[in-house]
Amino acid sequence: MSDYISLMFTVVILSLVANIGIALYGIFTKPSLIKKFIALTIFSDSINSFAIAIGFRRVAGSYPSVAVLADVPGSPEELQHFYATSVDPLPQALVLTAIVIGLAVYMFLAGLITLYYKHYGTTRVDVVRGGSRG
Amino acid sequence: MRARELAIASSVALMVLLLAYVIELGGLGPLAPHTIRDLAKSYLEYAYNPWNATVSSMALEAVTAIVWDYRGLDTYFETSVLFVAIIGVAALYRGYREMRGLGGAGLSEIVKTSTRVLVPLILVAGASIAIHGHLTPGGGFQGGSFMAVLMVLLAVVFSLDYAFERGLSSRKLLAIRSAGLIGILLTSLALLVAGAVAGVYAYVFQNMVRESSELSMPRWIFDRPLGGTLFFFNVFESLAVVSGLTLTFIVLALRREEVDHALAAGEWYE
Repeated sequence: MSDYISLMFTVVILSLVANIGIALYGIFTKPSLIKKFIALTIFSDSINSFAIAIGFRRVAGSYPSVAVLADVPGSPEELQHFYATSVDPLPQALVLTAIVIGLAVYMFLAGLITLYYKHYGTTRVDVVRGGSRG
Repeated sequence: MRARELAIASSVALMVLLLAYVIELGGLGPLAPHTIRDLAKSYLEYAYNPWNATVSSMALEAVTAIVWDYRGLDTYFETSVLFVAIIGVAALYRGYREMRGLGGAGLSEIVKTSTRVLVPLILVAGASIAIHGHLTPGGGFQGGSFMAVLMVLLAVVFSLDYAFERGLSSRKLLAIRSAGLIGILLTSLALLVAGAVAGVYAYVFQNMVRESSELSMPRWIFDRPLGGTLFFFNVFESLAVVSGLTLTFIVLALRREEVDHALAAGEWYE
């Protein structure tokens, strides 16, 4: 059973890495800025999921709990049980920061792309050369 | 052109293979381990710990405790980055005007009616995520973006004209955004000011009792844990995020007539 879980976890991690590669390919080769933009969001989402997966842990005979106390603990022993079964909260906090910063960048990029479209009438980068306007 | 794409594809494939190999070798440590790092354990142990109050943030949710207490300064600057990005989008379209009567009646009556049903649900769910950020998964940013979806839905389903007629304008949204950021700033300075008035030691971003400082934000509201500053941070952050994201969406969704001036300004700069 434990080997099976390890195998499935490896499969998930490897598919996330493959996802990162595919997204990078999209950013490099797609001529349309919107498609580049979508590939960029897939790229960062894959990396964020990857970081969360690193913070996962296994608990023998049970599932790990989220990093939230369900009740106000009445004694230090309850608290001990909590941190013996909870997942790592630090990657989640860092990914939250990464998502917000990513959102800031995407909003600015979306503004630039929309402006580009309103200027040239297209979002492709390969048909606009030398600043000519459509 | 063909050779170029082939080179990119093969190098990306090589990167994926090598990364997978490094992870398989254990380059990131064991995946899904049975133990967690000592740092994670200390965060989990001290997020809510009345028996060790000088290092605790008294919030039931460890992630919010990290985000707004242990790494509060970080998060403040992160919010500032979001603010600057919103200013940047507005500056890209400098000189735009919000115009009414450009047509556009929104979507069909069926969509409008179902949206009317959804509106209070989304609002309540978003506000609950934000206000209970220190008790349940979620927080100010998550709740704020949840509610921003509502504003985007209103602008799309009922048209931008409708939103402008109902008093939505980028000037107001920017004012709310700034008020949220100022609220976060005031909350972070509250105990410092109180300490200066009372003549005792206090820190910026101080939440609970610390060594050499007796001051503390409220721990409980009625019979619920409040988490001190965390509650206020979450509320102000959700205000800031909902107005900021709505503002960006409105700027991005502007019609051609409204941005003509901005485009002409771009022309002029060349």
